[in-house]
Amino acid sequence: MAGYILKRLLSAVPVLLGISVIVFVIMALIPGDPATAILGSYATPENVEKLNRDLGLDRSLVHRYFIWLGNMLQGDFGRSFSLNRAVLDEVLERFNATLVLAGTSFVLCSLLGVAAGVVSAARQYGAADKVITFAVLLGISIPSFFLGMMMILMFAVNLRWFPVSGMWPIYGARDLGALISHLTLPALSLAVVATGVIARLSRAAMLEVLRQDFIRTARAKGVHERAVIWRHALRAAMVGIIPVLGLQAGFVLSGAVYIEMVFQWPGVGRMLVDAILKRDILLVQGGVVLVASCYVLFNIAVDVAQSLLDPRIRT
Amino acid sequence: MSGFLSLLARNRLALAGAVVIVTVVLLALVTPLLPLANPDATNTAIRFQRPFQGEALLGTDHLGRDLLSRLLWGTRLSLAVGFTAAVAAATLGATIGIIAGYYGGRTDNIIMRGVDMLMAFPYILLALAIVAALGPGLMNALIAVAAVNIPFFARNIRGVTVGIAHKEFVDAARLSGLSNARIIVSEVLPNVIPVVVVAMSTTIGWMILETAGLSFLGLGSQPPQADLGSMLGEARSALITNPHTSLVPGLMILVIVMAINLLGDGVRDALDPRLKSGALSRPMPATRVHRETPPAPPAGEAVLALQGLQTQFHVKQRKYRAVGGVDLALHAGECLGIIGESGSGKSVAALSVMGLVASPPGVITGGAVYYKGRDLIGAPYETLRQLRGDRVAYIFQDPLATLHPLYTVGEQLIEAVRAHHSVSRIQARRHAIELLKSVRIPNAQDRIDSYPHEMSGGMRQRVGIAMALSNDPEVIIADEPTTALDVTVQAQILSLLDDLRRERGLAIIFITHDFGVVAQLCDRVAVMYAGRIVEEGPTPAILNTPQHPYTARLMACVPELGQGRRELAAIPGLPPAVDQLPTGCAFAERCDLVRPACTAGDIALTTSGPRKLRCILPPLPREARV
Amino acid sequence: MRDALTFTDLSKTFAVAKGLLGRAKSQVHAVQPLSMSVEHGETLGIVGESGCGKSTLARMLVGLLPPSTGVIEIDGHPLDPSDRAAFGKKIQYVFQDPISSLNPRKTVRQIMEAPLIHLHGLNSAERAKRIREIFAAVNLREEFLDRYPHEFSGGQAQRIGIARALAADARILILDEPVSALDVSVQAQVLNLLSDLKQQLGLTYLFISHDLAVVEAVSDRVAVLYFGSVVEVGPAEQVFAAPRHPYTKLLANSAPVVGRPLAQPEMRETELPDPLNPPPGCAFCGRCPRRIARCDTERPPLLTQSDGVSIACHNPL
Repeated sequence: MAGYILKRLLSAVPVLLGISVIVFVIMALIPGDPATAILGSYATPENVEKLNRDLGLDRSLVHRYFIWLGNMLQGDFGRSFSLNRAVLDEVLERFNATLVLAGTSFVLCSLLGVAAGVVSAARQYGAADKVITFAVLLGISIPSFFLGMMMILMFAVNLRWFPVSGMWPIYGARDLGALISHLTLPALSLAVVATGVIARLSRAAMLEVLRQDFIRTARAKGVHERAVIWRHALRAAMVGIIPVLGLQAGFVLSGAVYIEMVFQWPGVGRMLVDAILKRDILLVQGGVVLVASCYVLFNIAVDVAQSLLDPRIRT
Repeated sequence: MSGFLSLLARNRLALAGAVVIVTVVLLALVTPLLPLANPDATNTAIRFQRPFQGEALLGTDHLGRDLLSRLLWGTRLSLAVGFTAAVAAATLGATIGIIAGYYGGRTDNIIMRGVDMLMAFPYILLALAIVAALGPGLMNALIAVAAVNIPFFARNIRGVTVGIAHKEFVDAARLSGLSNARIIVSEVLPNVIPVVVVAMSTTIGWMILETAGLSFLGLGSQPPQADLGSMLGEARSALITNPHTSLVPGLMILVIVMAINLLGDGVRDALDPRLKSGALSRPMPATRVHRETPPAPPAGEAVLALQGLQTQFHVKQRKYRAVGGVDLALHAGECLGIIGESGSGKSVAALSVMGLVASPPGVITGGAVYYKGRDLIGAPYETLRQLRGDRVAYIFQDPLATLHPLYTVGEQLIEAVRAHHSVSRIQARRHAIELLKSVRIPNAQDRIDSYPHEMSGGMRQRVGIAMALSNDPEVIIADEPTTALDVTVQAQILSLLDDLRRERGLAIIFITHDFGVVAQLCDRVAVMYAGRIVEEGPTPAILNTPQHPYTARLMACVPELGQGRRELAAIPGLPPAVDQLPTGCAFAERCDLVRPACTAGDIALTTSGPRKLRCILPPLPREARV
Repeated sequence: MRDALTFTDLSKTFAVAKGLLGRAKSQVHAVQPLSMSVEHGETLGIVGESGCGKSTLARMLVGLLPPSTGVIEIDGHPLDPSDRAAFGKKIQYVFQDPISSLNPRKTVRQIMEAPLIHLHGLNSAERAKRIREIFAAVNLREEFLDRYPHEFSGGQAQRIGIARALAADARILILDEPVSALDVSVQAQVLNLLSDLKQQLGLTYLFISHDLAVVEAVSDRVAVLYFGSVVEVGPAEQVFAAPRHPYTKLLANSAPVVGRPLAQPEMRETELPDPLNPPPGCAFCGRCPRRIARCDTERPPLLTQSDGVSIACHNPL
């Protein structure tokens, strides 16, 4: 087991390097003088020259990549000109807020999605299946940002159950209750699409598994149907569902960008959009590399979970 | 193609989706011709007009622009962008996937490493990075959305292609002299295209959402040009005061994407061949029963008695009569063989006993199964469950598929015991080890913690037998338990089963297609053809003097070891399809002793002494029948 | 006269269990170096249990799998493994699963035409004539030509598979379990068809199967494979009737036969050796009742005996 985890961690190294190369290449595509592009057209010539030197733009592309990589490995992601702050500090602070939002949503959508899928498959063509199927269809068809806006109208403006936006109250204590009340609407809006996708795939995976011979064996043994569904079928179906959960975590993280905009959540997604609009390239670069790296590590955790479940892939 | 369309049309939801999406597309196409206000003309005097109140049908936005006009132009743009992105991503992704999947090896490795790399990004980060590099704009958003979706298509299509590339018809094409390029075009592509279409039709809605999302963030279409996403984005600041400006584009996106998803699901269902046969429905806990009055229990002391059992498969309008009225009696301690070809209904009859026929599509439509005088057909689920594995146990064919892959054999044995007896885990485990020893598994204490995949086929089947024995059942139904095994392993398993049944006084129903196995193991044998028993009796009698022409000819066409090289006496023709059974004898068409009476009416199973026969011919010596 | 098919030292090794850096950690010898020849008009039966390498051998012989070592000669001329068309014209293959060997999206005519176009470059009139001849030979109605594979039963599909192999006009057919997927009543039809075709067209067969009785019924000579090696080759009547190798005897005694009482042919519950860790001596010695000291250390070579039977055993029966 430890060997497997070590192997997966080692295999992440080339992926992380690949991510850095992809981000570097994309950023190298920026047309014109990069320094001007980074600093904007109001930059003074001295600043442009300094940045060019800092970035090593007089060197070759490969050389520049290694300088950039070396700096990153030492924790130096550069400075954001628009915020006049170290990129790493800003990203880490913002990423915390995103993790709270996306993490809550991910837990919600995993539990709800899998449960809905199992119930739906076990009662295929029954009333519960039809209701769930319709809800799922609605869920995967609605844009999360539109849903978020409608939730604000409904629950924050009309019913006044929850605050309209933000992560913390402007005045008042920053306690757990305040966080939950601010978190509820954005987390739900964000979870809806992923719940739909997970429920759909869980239903399909369950239906596939329920047709397998070993389910018939379990029934032939006289195992109770509840155990057949939840112990035999779901466990086997999880082998197909867990990779979907890993993938959906990426989608939740992605959807968080929209939700952060709608709910004014101080997360890394909103930071990135602002940075793009202000052409703060170093901030974009640093944010993308850091968040993508965390996602890679998360996916390793997913793989390890998968190997705990399935003895056939434990090597 | 017409079949595909009619399948699609039969799906009412998909049809509704198609109608909506066609309407929207038509509207988008004729938008330039409609007498609409200029979508970009601002008039702050009439800003935020409510719908149905002023001149503008759907009201106006924060700059006083006509919302209806903007909505239609925006829809046009969103559809075009979403569709283009989907086609671009599908084409590129499928090409990459096909190449990786078909060539395999290093090509595959390098391509898929790249794809994995791209998929290591949460997709929006990649899209944002691309937009950051190219600058905000609708075209750039399109490129970004298409680019981030290529890996998904590539991975999906690669998987499908790998499956196809390993199919035997691709090997056959190679042997027919086709080059790789030709094989891709003529063998692989036609089989991949439906998958690409399905993947595209189910993701096109997603693409529209994503491009709308980028526009919503202000990174897609730039003012004054508007697509649905940027309309929503601009309306956001006025959400609380003037929600209609948000509702109009938001609902449009919802309607479009929902219609596309409905249609996409319909396309998937119509193109997925597994769904055509209704195979994707899950089997219920017990087979559905739909019968008139059950027959009375038979006289005699059979442990298990099948009385006129009828099981059918209802697939759409067709009714396949898999079992068409089977009478069988199994006595204590007896081994009864059921022999027949595939499709003869032998397995279905055996699975019907405990309601294990997959349902849908299986339905038990008549007859009864009496276990010690109690009818099992239509018995409450809990009654069946308590008997299953406790009094009547099954051994199935392929032990790799019939054992749960994720539980150790010990866990599965313990579960079998604890399903019927409230014993502690430790006691059950001790019992499980005993069971493994009784089926002669070496090192039972260690092997109990093995997973099925860690065992050989023969060992797995021993576990299957141990599981069947776990509650000391009276009856074991063995459905071709050695068919998947090698001949030397088969010999070991058969002699094990024979010893066990003598030691424990088990009654066994043994289903097989092999006369040699029947001869060695079974006391009595029933021969099935087209869902009915054609001949039954003591094994030596049936094998030495078969009286039904089918039995005789079936035995003659099986080569027997030790007789050297010879011409085989083949039976011409094929068994009849069980959804179109002829009147009278089902074998008449292939029988060279056929006479008019054979096809005139139903032929009964007549008893004479220990034997039963469903044939109107007078008993003839064996030679005359072959 | 030269033999129709000869292969010398043909072997296949697969790399398994890739290590961290993608280097092969260990190898499995699916087929140990094999040398055999098949005469013109002969049927050589190859029999063995799963994992004995019989399908790997078949795929090497038709060029679907590059051999690790060895040469394949047809009529004395070595085949170039990279020249697929040359292979296809001389040696063809009939698949085990008749349905999956036919592309579900092509009509039978398209399937039949492929070898005629790509191997022989015939024009459309010549193709139609050739297909008509072949269909007559395999007893298929010409109306089948415009149907799709899923409309056929297993037996009919296997006839189409045989017809396609014949279309390439090869003189040698590798029949890889051609009747295993078929029901017994249909098996006999196909076996008889194969035997008729062989006589009419002067074909040479390599018939691979796990079914001893079927192999015995159709073959002139039978080779018994165990763990990637030939352990016994001899005339069909003799191999199972009077086995010389202990494994052949075990096989023959294991097959269920009407009229022979059930007996466990082996006293212990035995298994195949681990392919990743093969025994140094005879692969069968762990199960062999006639094992002697030499068997553990020295792999027995395949030697031809005075009666024409070849066996690889230190202590034959």
